[in-house]
Amino acid sequence: MVKKEVLIEPMTRLEGHLGIHAVADLEKGIYVDAHSFVVMFRGFEIILKGREPADAIWITQRICGVCPTPHAIASVQAVDMAYQAPPPPMGVLLRNFLHGAEQLYDAALGCLVLEGPDYSEAAVKKWNPDWWEKARKAKAPNAKLHGYKTIADIMRALNPLSGELWLRSLAVEKLGRKMASLLGGKHPHVVSIVPGGVAKTLTPTDLEQYAAMLAHHVAFAKEFIPVMDDLLDFVLSLGYEECGSRKVNLLSYGAYDDPEAYTARYEDMPSWGLKRAVSPGVVIDGELITQDLIEINVGVREFIDRSYYEDWAGPSVAEDPAGNPLDAKHPWNKETKPKPGPYKAWDSKYSWAGSPRWEDWKKRVDGFAHALEAGPIARMWVTAKAGNVPESTGSSLKFTLPKAAVAGYKVVDEMEFEWKIPERVNTVERVRARAYYYAYTAYVMYNQLLQALEMVKAGKAEVWRKYKKPKDGMGVGMTEAMRGALAHWVVMRGQRIQNYQVITPSGWNAGPRLSDVDLGPYEDAIVGTPITEPTEGELSGIDVVRTIRSFDPCLACCVHLYQGDRCIREIPIC
Amino acid sequence: MEPEKIHVIWLSGQACTGCTVSFLNATHPSLVDILTGFIPQAAGITLDYHQTIMLPWGEEALKAVEAAERGELEPFVLVVEGAVPDEDKAGEGYWCAIGEENGRPITFSERLKKLADKAIAVVAAGTCSSFGGIPHGKPNPTGARGVMDFLGRDWRSKAGIPIINVPGCPVHGEHLAEVLAHAVLALRGYLSLPELDEWHRPKYIFGQTVHDNCPRAGLYSDGKTSHAFGEPYCMGLLGCKGPISHCDAPKRGFIEGVGGCTAIGGICIGCTEPEFPDEPYGPFLKKAPATFFIAEKIRGIIAGLDAVWHRFEEKLVGRKL
Repeated sequence: MVKKEVLIEPMTRLEGHLGIHAVADLEKGIYVDAHSFVVMFRGFEIILKGREPADAIWITQRICGVCPTPHAIASVQAVDMAYQAPPPPMGVLLRNFLHGAEQLYDAALGCLVLEGPDYSEAAVKKWNPDWWEKARKAKAPNAKLHGYKTIADIMRALNPLSGELWLRSLAVEKLGRKMASLLGGKHPHVVSIVPGGVAKTLTPTDLEQYAAMLAHHVAFAKEFIPVMDDLLDFVLSLGYEECGSRKVNLLSYGAYDDPEAYTARYEDMPSWGLKRAVSPGVVIDGELITQDLIEINVGVREFIDRSYYEDWAGPSVAEDPAGNPLDAKHPWNKETKPKPGPYKAWDSKYSWAGSPRWEDWKKRVDGFAHALEAGPIARMWVTAKAGNVPESTGSSLKFTLPKAAVAGYKVVDEMEFEWKIPERVNTVERVRARAYYYAYTAYVMYNQLLQALEMVKAGKAEVWRKYKKPKDGMGVGMTEAMRGALAHWVVMRGQRIQNYQVITPSGWNAGPRLSDVDLGPYEDAIVGTPITEPTEGELSGIDVVRTIRSFDPCLACCVHLYQGDRCIREIPIC
Repeated sequence: MEPEKIHVIWLSGQACTGCTVSFLNATHPSLVDILTGFIPQAAGITLDYHQTIMLPWGEEALKAVEAAERGELEPFVLVVEGAVPDEDKAGEGYWCAIGEENGRPITFSERLKKLADKAIAVVAAGTCSSFGGIPHGKPNPTGARGVMDFLGRDWRSKAGIPIINVPGCPVHGEHLAEVLAHAVLALRGYLSLPELDEWHRPKYIFGQTVHDNCPRAGLYSDGKTSHAFGEPYCMGLLGCKGPISHCDAPKRGFIEGVGGCTAIGGICIGCTEPEFPDEPYGPFLKKAPATFFIAEKIRGIIAGLDAVWHRFEEKLVGRKL
C-alpha cells in the first residue's frame, strides 16, 4: 500500500486549536485513517467551581466568541432549573431572538466565509483544475434568482476578500450581530441573559428595529439558498457523494422554545422539548429512536480514555431529578482533572477533547454507546422527520419566507423552501443543511416576532420574573449552537457551583476515538473519503479540509504535509 | 508617494476568537478601511498573518510569521488575542500549541516571545491578552496571564513603546480599530502615542467609568433605580459594576451605535478590568461596593451647591458671559 500522511495542524478552531492527522492510501484513492486532536486547554469547568451558578451565563459564553449566545442559552436554562426561576413568555421570546440573531450571522459566516472558499475559484483552480473547466460550462439552474450565470461565476464570487458573495456576507453577518447587540447590549458575549428572563428594557421600537434588520436576512436567504443549491449540486455531480460520508447517527437537542411551554422544570423537559421550533432527537443508523429530552440527557456519557485527563471516582449524583439512575460517566458526575500529556501519542491519549457518546440505555436498538454527529444536518433531519411542527412533512421541512422589499436584494416576493432529508450525511449535505438552517431560522424568527407583537398588544410584555434562589439544586440546559447540540450541566450546593460541565458540539464531533472501531465523527468522516486532487505530487489534503470544514470548525487551518516523518510543505488554507 | 508599509501580525493564544469577531464589528474605520487606506498618511497597512480574517492562499501567511520571527519583516505591529498560559505548569505536555517543528509542538508562548523581540509595537486586543481574562480566573488552572505580565511590566519594544492594552471581553471593535489607526499615525509622526493609564489602557477610551458614560446615570442622580430587570432606570441595585469599570460602550453602543451593556438594561460585569472575572466584579449579580455611590452623592451635593451659588452670584454681580 502506498501511504501518505497528511498532518493538518494547527487547524485553529473557535474553542481552541485543532489538528487533524490523516493517512491516505494512494492505490485505493481514499483516506484510510485519521486522528483529530485538540491542542489547547483553558479549564473553564475548574474556573467555574465555587462561583455563583448565574456567573456561568456570562463566563461560559467566553468558551467561544463565534457562538457565545447558545452557551448563554444552555447555561441560563441549567441555572433557571437549579434556581427554579422560570421566565415569563416574553423573556423566552427575547432569548430566542438573541439566539436566532446569532444563528443568522453564524450560518452565513460558515457557508460563505469559512467553507465557501474551499469551493472558490482560487481553491478549485489550484486543487481541482478539472472541476474548473466543467464549472465554466455548467449553467447555474437558479441563475434567475441569484444572477450568477454559471457555476464558475458562483465560485468566483466566493473568492476571499474579492468575491461578491464573500464581501456581501460580511455585511449580512454584522447585521446578525447587530440584532443581538440591540437586545443583548453587545455581541460577541451578550450581557442581557439572566436567570428568570432577560435584562432588557423593551422599548416601543425594539421589535420594529429587529424586524427591519430581519428583513435583510429574509431577502438574502432568497439568493443565498439557491446559490448554495446550485454550487453543491454541481459538486455532488462530480462524484462527491462519498466525501465525508458516515453512518446516519445524529443528535439534536432542539432549539427556539415555545414561550408558553417552557417551564424550566426538569420533569416537564420532554414536553417543552417537543414544542420547540427545532425538534430534539437521537438518530441511530437512520432511525429516529427517541425525542424525549430526559432520555437523551440520561444517555449522555463523556469518556476520557484518549484525552489528556485523569479518571474520576463516581458517581456522586446517583439519580436525575426524575429518579432515573445516572451513570458515573454522565456529565452530572464528571470531574475535570487535566493531565497534560505527550504530543501525537496516537496509541494513547492525544487530545484535549473528550469523547462524548450516547448510550442507548433504554435498549431501543442495541444498548450500546454511540458516537453521534451534531450540527445543522442533525437539527434539520430530526425536525423534518419528526412531524412535531407543521412545517415537517416526514421527509422534508417545508416553509415559506415572507415578502421583503429591501434595497440591494434581488427577490422581493415570498418564496417557498423545501429541505429534503438526503440519502446520505456527507460533506456536501452538511453544508447545504447549514444554508437551509439560515432560512429556517429567519422563518422562525419572523413568526415569533409576530407572536411577540401580539403579546405586547395583550399587555404581556414582562421580560423577567423575580425568583428566590434555593440552597441546593441541579440543572441541565440543552440547546443548539450553530455547529450542533450543546448542553451545560450544573450541580449547586450551598448556592455555589459544586460541579459544572459543558459538552460542546465540537466535542461531539471532534472527539478522539475510543477504539479503532469507535472513531469520533471527524475521524470517521475522513476514513473512506476519496482523494479528488492529483496524487502524483504532494497532497494538499483539500478533501480532508472540506470534510472537516463541513462540520464548521470555523477557522482557518494550516496544513502541514508529511511524507513519512519528513515535513515536506506547509500550506495555510483558509 | 507610496507610503512605507507597516505590517501587522495577529497571534492567538488562549482565546475564544471573540476579539476577532468583534474587530469585524468596527465600521468607521472598518478592517477593510484600514487595509485599503483612503488617506495616504494612514495607508500601507498589510495584515500579513491572521488565521481568520486574512485569507492568504498558499504558503505566504506562515512565511510571514517566520520572517517576522527572524526580523525580516520590518516594521511590524504584533496584535495578540488570548491569554498566555504558563507552560512550565504543563509537565511533559503543553497547554497551547501553534504548529510544530521536528515533531515537537511549538508553544504559543515561545512564538510570542520571539515575535515581541522584533515587533515595533505590541497591542493586546481584549482582556485575556491584556490581563489574563477568563482563563486567569481563580484558581487559574493553566497559570494564564496577560502579555504585559508575561513580558514584564517595564518591557518596551525595540522602538521604546510599552505594550498598549485594549481590554474588553471581547475588545470593542471600534476601540481596536481606532487604536491601530492611531498607532500607525503615531509611528509616522503625525500624532503622539496615546497616553496610557497605569494598566496601559489608552486614557481617551478608558479614562472614564461606565457609570460616567451611562445614559442611565442621570436617572440615578434623580433617585430612579431599577428593582427588577426590564425597568428603565439605574441598574446599580441589580449588580451593575459600572462605577468601578472603565469603558465607553454604554455611550457609544457596540455595533454602529446599537447596544451598550447598561444602556439596553443589562448590567456591567467589569470586563475591561484586570481583576475580571474575580472579585469585586464577580459574582456578577452582586451589588458593587457602596463607597462609590456615597462619594458620588457627596460630589453631587457639592455640584448642586455650586450651581445654586453661581446663580446667586449672577444676580448679585451680573452675568460674566
